[in-house]
Amino acid sequence: MSSLLLQTGELAPDFSLENINGNFIRLSDYRGKKPVVLSFLRGFI
Amino acid sequence: MARFRDSYEGFVERGAELLAVGPDGLEQFQRYWQREGLSFIGMPDPGNSVAKLYKQEVNLFKFGRMPMNCIIDLDGYIRYIHYSANRKDYPDMEIFFDVIDELNKASNKV
Repeated sequence: MSSLLLQTGELAPDFSLENINGNFIRLSDYRGKKPVVLSFLRGFI
Repeated sequence: MARFRDSYEGFVERGAELLAVGPDGLEQFQRYWQREGLSFIGMPDPGNSVAKLYKQEVNLFKFGRMPMNCIIDLDGYIRYIHYSANRKDYPDMEIFFDVIDELNKASNKV
């Protein structure tokens, strides 16, 4: 089961999502610029 | 979310970006961000496409999606990853800070 999860050392899958202000954010835009903490939430409800 | 809010300065000081992805829709996100006074980036993912890409776990016996947190270095590689076993299983903020400090040291960008 755990082998199905992502692991340390893997390339982070790239993605693009719209943020709450309507701007698209692409993960790879941070390459060479900033480390990124990516947090997946449970949901507010 | 409160702990990210309360520790947000620590991420800013270290030059790290904090992105929060969740299953809720845009309006719910906007309401929540405003009510909680959050300054980091919120990204609605109501179709769970990015959550699936990152293998966020869904546990029907524990009422839904389990938190997952990871830290990505300047080259785009995962340097820390934590899949929560339950809703209270959450990494301490000091762990995030330590990993980011190590990354910053390695890239001489402090």
